[in-house]
Amino acid sequence: MSKKVAVLMGGRSLEREVSLKSGERVTAALSRKGYRVVPLDVTEDLVERLRSEKPDAVYIALHGRFGEDGTVQELLEFLEIPYTGPGVLANFLAWDKAVSKRVFVREGIPTPKWVTLTADAFKQMGAATALGALTAAVGDFPLAVKPAKQGSALGLARVTEAQELAEALLQALSFDDKALVERWIDGVELAVSVLEEDGKPYVLPSVEINAKSGLFDFNAMYTPGETEYYVPARLSPEVSAEVEALAAKVHVALGCRDVSRVDMVVDAEGSPFVLEANTSPGMTDTSLLPMAAEHAGIDFDELVDRLTRAALGRG
Amino acid sequence: MSTARVVFDRWDDRYAARMEQVRSSAVRDLFAAASRSDVISFAGGMPAVATVPLGDVAHSARDAIRHSGAQALQYGSSEGRPDLRVFVSELMAETGCRVQPSDVVLTTGGQQALDLLAKIMIDPGDIVITEGPTYVGALQAFSAYEPEVHCIPMDDDGMRVDLLEEALARIAPRRPKFIYTIPNFQNPAGVTLTPGRRRQLLEIARAHDIPVVEDDPYGRLRFEGGHVKPLRALDDEVIYVSTFSKIFAPGLRLGWITAPRPILAKFVLAKQAADLCGSAFAQVVAEEYFGHTKWRRTLKALTRTYHERRDAMLSALEEHFPEEARWTKPQGGFFVWVEMPRFLDCKALLAEAVDRGVAFVPGDAFFPDGSGRNCMRLNFSFPSPDSIREGVERLANVLEDRLELYRAFMRAGAIPEVREAVASAGGSR
Repeated sequence: MSKKVAVLMGGRSLEREVSLKSGERVTAALSRKGYRVVPLDVTEDLVERLRSEKPDAVYIALHGRFGEDGTVQELLEFLEIPYTGPGVLANFLAWDKAVSKRVFVREGIPTPKWVTLTADAFKQMGAATALGALTAAVGDFPLAVKPAKQGSALGLARVTEAQELAEALLQALSFDDKALVERWIDGVELAVSVLEEDGKPYVLPSVEINAKSGLFDFNAMYTPGETEYYVPARLSPEVSAEVEALAAKVHVALGCRDVSRVDMVVDAEGSPFVLEANTSPGMTDTSLLPMAAEHAGIDFDELVDRLTRAALGRG
Repeated sequence: MSTARVVFDRWDDRYAARMEQVRSSAVRDLFAAASRSDVISFAGGMPAVATVPLGDVAHSARDAIRHSGAQALQYGSSEGRPDLRVFVSELMAETGCRVQPSDVVLTTGGQQALDLLAKIMIDPGDIVITEGPTYVGALQAFSAYEPEVHCIPMDDDGMRVDLLEEALARIAPRRPKFIYTIPNFQNPAGVTLTPGRRRQLLEIARAHDIPVVEDDPYGRLRFEGGHVKPLRALDDEVIYVSTFSKIFAPGLRLGWITAPRPILAKFVLAKQAADLCGSAFAQVVAEEYFGHTKWRRTLKALTRTYHERRDAMLSALEEHFPEEARWTKPQGGFFVWVEMPRFLDCKALLAEAVDRGVAFVPGDAFFPDGSGRNCMRLNFSFPSPDSIREGVERLANVLEDRLELYRAFMRAGAIPEVREAVASAGGSR
């Protein structure tokens, strides 16, 4: 009898709609590959359903909180159901950019200079009085302001002058209790997806992202036609090799397994900087992982099957 | 309890392109949670139908079938039953509008009037002018026909007609297909267009030869202040839409439109295509209700109820809400519009508010372009005064928490103080 795979999607994060799209495509792919598929939205009766359905594996198509912060992974380990993608710790480390960046620094992985500020630092410690010192600490404008724990660029702002800082921080802090103020590096934006082969990172062709609006925000990510993509990215062979090595290093440093997507920017001098890593990359029709896989000769169904088989192998 | 199993739309790629434009409620998922009994909802827009005496309605229904049963059961004319249209012209005469019964078409709610008007007027890409914010149902109706919606900011006196003038100059030589306004106790802003502004609006519209659509569902729900003549009373080319939903009940799905003859003729064609004719059944019941019950007394009772609830809301806001909040003080209708400082995202707040037992509609639902995120629409027509007081307190607590952060920034002098006029978050485009 064919294996039964439950696909988890939806949930109540701000990326719910994206997750439902990913989940829908994954479900269709798994069906075509001959699995018995149970699509499940994340609702109050999820655990009950999982225990009654007894799937052989769970495909995690959840994005954002609960799907990428370790919550659902912990739960599935407790229920002893194998799942796709990285394990609990990798999810913790990757989800919180303030933490990932510390790991990057420790491992010698280049990442833009930054400062982390929490809501409490503002509320209880008067951190707002020090906003003027941010440029000295991080670098000159433009600066990136973003929530530490959020996906799909929600709450991301590109700040060009001091007056905009407060607003950007307040925006970011509506999504999370922690915000990063980071040097904004203008350059070539890349999404580098990593799979695994024989337990070792297998880096897929980089995708170069050129958002028409100039900002690769939520709208640019999910509205067809808003962004131009180049696969493989238009990089010199040296930079390309460096980017590939860096992506593999990030994947390993965060303890990822099976799949990750590393977002980078290459500056005008050709130096790459790692912005973040994602442990549950989008699988919609404008998403970057499937795009890269396609270029490596791995079609969508094959990609889904590969990750599923890896999970089943852990059962 | 909702089930975890997901069912997909396998016709996802078969729909008409225009459906991409049709707006869905972005807070749909949260509203499922908002209808839990432990959540005080300021998110609705429902009349207090419990105040309508069911005995009266039962009599009307019984008499309707007794006297006009055969007609109630049969197809009627697209324009609707003549007697009810006579009644509508009498209602309108009371407010100062001269309308012939033959210039009235009964519709399936005011909503249908908006939909069919959009259908006969709007080609994809046409410009339509509305207030900013405006009625979400209008945005939804118009969106199916793919217009470019430009909204004009408002203040306590209604639409900023000076900015309307500017907007038209900017748009020129293009000309909007119509200007859509809700002059009385606007949904969602609660404000009323002053007499002076009404005259100015009409002057501008005439000068540019742009039709004006006046949507007036709440005109008879005035708590205080004098009656203000509808735009239609000042200019009989105004297209006027209203409804029986608030003066009788929404369940009948009964409204009306009056417009210049040629426009009305096109409208009737569209209506025929949409539903052949309205519900003769509902129209017959309405005739009996308005002909033979003390409906004005009921309407007075309803208005008193809403007045009481508005007062409960305004005093609760005064008592509990943080000083950074601004809100409108409607002289009638159903809604109060709250504006928070520009950087405070009320939409981001909604999930937390629902968790803490209170729901509202975030302001961006009422703008075509996503602005208004720092605003909220609060409905007072439906919850009881006690619920209103409790709900406002809960909401105030949620806001306080968020404002603590905002104030830390203010104290440090990090935010330029911005005090904008109410509901001015939507700019002209």
